Amino acid sequence: MSFPGPVSGQAPADGGSPEPGAGTGGYRRLNRKCMLSMYIDYAIGYAVLLAAYILTKTYGEGFLGAYYDPVGYGFLVALGIALVYIAVAPPVFYARYRYRITEDRVDVRCGVLFIRHTLVPIERVHQVEIARGPINNLLGLADVTITTAGGEATLRYLELDEAEKVADRLNNLIGRMLRERMPTTPGPRPGAADE
Amino acid sequence: MTDECSSDTAADTPTRHDETIRCHPSIIVERSLSAIVVLGVLATQLGRGAVPAVFAILFIGLVLFNYRQWSRTTVRFDETGVVVERNTLFKTKKTLPYAKMASVNINRGVLNRVFGTSRLQININSGSGATVPEAVLTFRQDVAEGIRAGMAERLYGGEPVPEEEPAEPPVTFSPADVIVHGLFSVSTYQTVFGFAFLAYSVFQLYLSAGVGGGALVSLLMFVVVQLAPSVSLISHYYNYRVYRRGDTIYLEHGLIRTYRTSFAASRINAVRVKRTLAARLLHRSCIEAEVVGLASGSGESLRPVLCLLKDDAAQQRLLEDLVPEFVYEGGREKQPEGAKGVLRVRAAVASFALALAMVYPSIAVYRATTALPGIAGTVLPWVLPLATAAVVLAICYATYVSYRVTEFGTDSDLFTFVNGAVDRETVVMNYDRVQMVWITKGPVARFFGVARGQVYLLSAIGGASVGSGYFDEGRLAAIGETVMARIVSGEYDYRKNSV
Repeated sequence: MSFPGPVSGQAPADGGSPEPGAGTGGYRRLNRKCMLSMYIDYAIGYAVLLAAYILTKTYGEGFLGAYYDPVGYGFLVALGIALVYIAVAPPVFYARYRYRITEDRVDVRCGVLFIRHTLVPIERVHQVEIARGPINNLLGLADVTITTAGGEATLRYLELDEAEKVADRLNNLIGRMLRERMPTTPGPRPGAADE
Repeated sequence: MTDECSSDTAADTPTRHDETIRCHPSIIVERSLSAIVVLGVLATQLGRGAVPAVFAILFIGLVLFNYRQWSRTTVRFDETGVVVERNTLFKTKKTLPYAKMASVNINRGVLNRVFGTSRLQININSGSGATVPEAVLTFRQDVAEGIRAGMAERLYGGEPVPEEEPAEPPVTFSPADVIVHGLFSVSTYQTVFGFAFLAYSVFQLYLSAGVGGGALVSLLMFVVVQLAPSVSLISHYYNYRVYRRGDTIYLEHGLIRTYRTSFAASRINAVRVKRTLAARLLHRSCIEAEVVGLASGSGESLRPVLCLLKDDAAQQRLLEDLVPEFVYEGGREKQPEGAKGVLRVRAAVASFALALAMVYPSIAVYRATTALPGIAGTVLPWVLPLATAAVVLAICYATYVSYRVTEFGTDSDLFTFVNGAVDRETVVMNYDRVQMVWITKGPVARFFGVARGQVYLLSAIGGASVGSGYFDEGRLAAIGETVMARIVSGEYDYRKNSV
């Protein structure tokens, strides 16, 4: 994975060690390919919106009646705003996105208009899933979804290798935590009577 | 998926381990009853030629199907859990380990009373499928009580069941309290909405001097939005009783369907003290708890109510008696000055958007009604602009109140959010139950140097979040840092907080 440069960020409060190869503050950034994936995603959405506009302009006059013109202007405004957002959002998303996995937490900072800082204690992770849609599949990218009992956090647009490594690392951390918690004296295995 | 089973033959005690039993056969009637109503209505509407005969055959087929389901579904209580097995075309075997059970509760509907049975509902402590019980088993009433008592011993550490040693509730609730709760615990927005329909209905009756279609529809909406929820709450919480013994909290209530619910206090993830506008005027408040694994599958609110609307002093006393673990005694801080800026910008944007959206309809209504004779021609053209102005004023007032009331507080074990301009809610949470923390800053919030926090917990409906107002980012980040610090220092005990 490429690192465009040092990333400024807050050091882990607990001193938990981040992954090897991470930038300053332990934060990693995404590959530039994420922008391409976002552009393709957005272009598909924009095409649907455009098709809805064309259909409304062509066939909408009859059932919209007096609202035909206002709806048309509304569509045009929405199309204009969407176009600006589509052009600007991917580079901003790429520039702002950073994530960090330490011994005890997953930390994600991302967002275009709204910047979100997500903190997931490893202790609360129930499940780790790697998912790839058709576009990400084409570009060799994948999302890693981390599920807790209260909700999900997603590391988006990771390179496939990186996604596998992240999932492995999380699974190892969870496994190690569970092993540490196992009683030293062997007890009866739960559910053994069912078998 | 809920495994619903009902049979009996359980005259013999089912608490004997490894004995396979069936539920009470009344389940066949219970399952077939709704079908006979539907088929009966259809037969009345389409009752010509061979149609009634076809419906009758369908009904007989359904009864036979339900009989087969019942006869081939068995329940076994073994050393480690409950095994529900169905040996039909689609075979299932569901094992519910005692170690993973969140609650075992009983409720009784009208049919249960007719047949002398009870429904035993078993819930697993799981976020997925939190809204339906994992198994619903119908047994003869005494059998169900016996099973529940036996299972409660395993789940709650061998405590005696309430029947054997009735406890004195710390606060009693009269029928008047139940009625007040039913009427005033419904959200203010819902009440306003409901009464708007009622007002419109009365207006229509006045205009048409008779019961027209519009008036009837509005009246029906009033019943659906306002009256039915209130009546349902009164029926649900009739005879309400709550008490705690050891680590277990017991709830008993219900008029038509009776509920007996118990759960370990350690399973509570957060406590909400709620005050609707009407309740605040009456100086009353109620308490709800976020507990996973109390689903009854019958559509009622899944959050157990620990205190119906009661005067604030009684509510506080009950809170201290029932859940002292969630009594927050730390300080609270108001939103910083920056929040005022964000809220003002939000109010301005909302008002502007509303005004913009109302321009076209206002002009249209003005043109259509200005030529009307009499008072209609004077009043109606200005109705929409005046309504828009009133809503803008309401937005401004709500912004002012929201800034004034929103609070955030932290102490060593607990933290709290206070929210709600109209219906106020104080949520008290334990750091050890926090699953995930989000801190979000929009462009306006960034300009004013504030952020909002969202704390994710395991709630009664699975995962849920509780949001804060606008505070300094560092203060909100302290929640996550405290969660991490407690895990790292070992202060967090996973054995007490397993989910």
